[in-house]
Amino acid sequence: MNRREFLTSASVVTLGIGLGLTSGLPAYAAESEAVIVLGSAEAGAPNQDPIRASLLSLASNLIYDRLVEQDDDQSYHPHLAESWETDADGMNWTFKLRQGVTFHDGEPFNAAAVVWWIGKYKGSVNEYMTAAIDRVEAVDDHTVRFVMKRPEPNLIFNLAAVFMGIPSPKSYEAAGDSYGVTEAIGTGPYKLESFVVGQEIVLVANEDYAWGTALSENQGAPHIKRLTLREIPDSSTAFLELKTGGVGMLSSVPDEFLPQLQKEKQVSFRDLPGMGVTYLIFNSRSEPFSDITMRQATALAVDQNAVLKSVYSGVGREAHQFLISSLAESKVDPQFEIRHDPDKARKLLDAAGWTVGGDGIRTKDNKRLRIKFWTRSETEFKRIAEVVQAQLKAVGMETEIVTFDNTTLRDQLRKGEHQLVVSHYDWNNADILDWCFSAKNIPAPNSAMWNDAKSEELHDIAMLHSKNWDERVANFKKYQEHLLSQYAFAPLHEPAQNTAYNKDLLEVPERIRGPQLGQSTIVDMKAVQ
Amino acid sequence: MFLFIVKRLVLLVPVFFVVSVVVFLIIHLVPGDPIDNLLRAGSSTAQRVQIAAKYGLDRSLAEQYFVWMRRLVSGDLGTSIIQGRPVGALIAQNLPYSLQLGGAALLFSALTGIAAGVLAASFHGTKLDDGISGLILLGSTVPSFWLGLLLILVFAVWLGWVPISGARGWTSLILPVIATGIGGIALVARVTRIAMIETARQDFVMLLHAKGLSPAIIQVRHVLRHALVPVVTILALRIGWILGGTVTIEYVFARPGLGSLLIRALNQRDYPLVQACLLMLAMAVILGTLLGDIIQAAMDPRQREVRS
Repeated sequence: MNRREFLTSASVVTLGIGLGLTSGLPAYAAESEAVIVLGSAEAGAPNQDPIRASLLSLASNLIYDRLVEQDDDQSYHPHLAESWETDADGMNWTFKLRQGVTFHDGEPFNAAAVVWWIGKYKGSVNEYMTAAIDRVEAVDDHTVRFVMKRPEPNLIFNLAAVFMGIPSPKSYEAAGDSYGVTEAIGTGPYKLESFVVGQEIVLVANEDYAWGTALSENQGAPHIKRLTLREIPDSSTAFLELKTGGVGMLSSVPDEFLPQLQKEKQVSFRDLPGMGVTYLIFNSRSEPFSDITMRQATALAVDQNAVLKSVYSGVGREAHQFLISSLAESKVDPQFEIRHDPDKARKLLDAAGWTVGGDGIRTKDNKRLRIKFWTRSETEFKRIAEVVQAQLKAVGMETEIVTFDNTTLRDQLRKGEHQLVVSHYDWNNADILDWCFSAKNIPAPNSAMWNDAKSEELHDIAMLHSKNWDERVANFKKYQEHLLSQYAFAPLHEPAQNTAYNKDLLEVPERIRGPQLGQSTIVDMKAVQ
Repeated sequence: MFLFIVKRLVLLVPVFFVVSVVVFLIIHLVPGDPIDNLLRAGSSTAQRVQIAAKYGLDRSLAEQYFVWMRRLVSGDLGTSIIQGRPVGALIAQNLPYSLQLGGAALLFSALTGIAAGVLAASFHGTKLDDGISGLILLGSTVPSFWLGLLLILVFAVWLGWVPISGARGWTSLILPVIATGIGGIALVARVTRIAMIETARQDFVMLLHAKGLSPAIIQVRHVLRHALVPVVTILALRIGWILGGTVTIEYVFARPGLGSLLIRALNQRDYPLVQACLLMLAMAVILGTLLGDIIQAAMDPRQREVRS
């Protein structure tokens, strides 16, 4: 090869790399279609396997049906289970299954499929969801009985979760480890057509669908025949796509983009109740927050209304207890709710011997009241920390803000050197109290290092000895009221979930059903002709 | 020449091992761990231990390294902890997008850069030279993230010529290529310009003029060819950067690629995936340098003789 030949072939190779890999444009049918952008919380979901995945997206909610569905008020409704009953001691659950339901591969949905399905959770990352079930018995072809190891009223919540979608036993076993990536077969209103992780999921309507829930107006096949779920990491890009009609809907809009989107006349909104709460963690194991007076004074110094107004421009709601407001367990006795009361905070600090010095910061025995205040690196969390810093300064507490990225912060909290931390959780079940405050979860996720005998007693009653749902609600209320009375945390804010869509492209029902945008709402959505 | 390539390839083996140790230690020594990203509220602490054992995270660092190395040598990159899929498959899925964008951007910055450099050198000292140099300097100082958004606003939103985001078809590649390539143009153009000006002062160029060749032919066929040697070196060094250096552009244009894969894996502390991506990027830089040397040797007989 001479020099010229070498150089020529080198340039050809470069050209080939540059242009040769361009993929072809997929063909698009003229029939009704829509593009929805997934929220950042579900971005990067690597597969559509409900049994083995630790992260699932809206796609899994549409491909699979569940035995029961949850509504936006966190109530439960029949789906693949037409009805269910629990005996008095909570040890047996009997489900009547819907008849005439088939999987996308043509296999029938019946009792045998349910028996197989529950068995598959053993050894998976989602095993805890079925851990209270001892065995599943097929009573007849369309009736199953769950025999429990212990009463677990929360089973109903688990059964409605996206992680308990029911896949086709035949396809699941045939696909082996590749299940959920190349194929995903459920009974849901949409079938998986193609899936590129981190990019897009294309779904097509299941025309045989006739078993929608009472939560939707349309119980048959969905109106939108072809649905593309895209991931767009940058909010500005997603915003421009929505504005120009490149996509029809953003399933989750960050609060800071709301004012900009509200100016666009073709963009409309639907709000859903919050899915999480932002709060302050006190490290109850170290000074000064090992003292309840200091926790109380800090909690009372925080003004939730100021956070709502200055950080979230009034979107969302103030949090005065730990749980999202749509949960029945959040309706605690108002006397336990934590509300802004700076005068009382000052009195408590005065009484504890902390006197205000010349610069407005309190001291006691020549020691300044100076607190390490940690927060996450996202803008929203930094701004919350700044607002709270000003409020604490008003009662004479000095704070030093340090920011960490989320993963590093979690690691730092394990070391137990923190004092005050801005934190957030997303979970629509009262058992988040167990996750964040039970002694077995010290040092993580119980970063409050919370461990007191009365809390543990109330925790055990709520978690392990509730026989039915109502009893569970009452027990969790008592548990939370005790935590509130101890000022184990300071609640701040409950962000709203905002959905935005392009009115020129989509018709969206007035009320979004379900705890998040999902099947019950999407089957009712129409493309504007 | 052949011996030269073989020698360089053999030298890569120790480099590979040193790089692998560094890559392994970097990700294991930063705070945080992948299991946090796997567990949801409600799961038990026993599960944590179980997952750690499953992925060998409960063993010593040295042991974990040797397990990884043993598998790597036999061609197994391991399984992603968070995504639960073979790392090889994940990389294979994202690599074409990175090669497509990076390759096209390299080509764009090479062609535009060399053309701009030739123009500036040919009109050395004139207003045109100043103008080109000024524009290039401006282009190279604009952050690609911001430029990307600006390009979207003008060409996709106002003019509607190309799609805003995504990776469907060649039209969606135009804006990302420009946004990525602009930074490279400046480097290439400046190196080309200087090299050409210096070559033009050499005796053989004077001889060519004396022989009566036209100035255009002298510039393109003789001066440029000599001046290209350093340009090729610069371009070869950017091969590694092609694969992983486009993260911000991938983010703005919602394109998949190795950069996005690596950043997501880093945030989730997905050890096997981060290790494989970093190792691959490091090897790409090393191989790129090697390729640059080989091309340089092929272009310049003096280099070839010295090295072999």
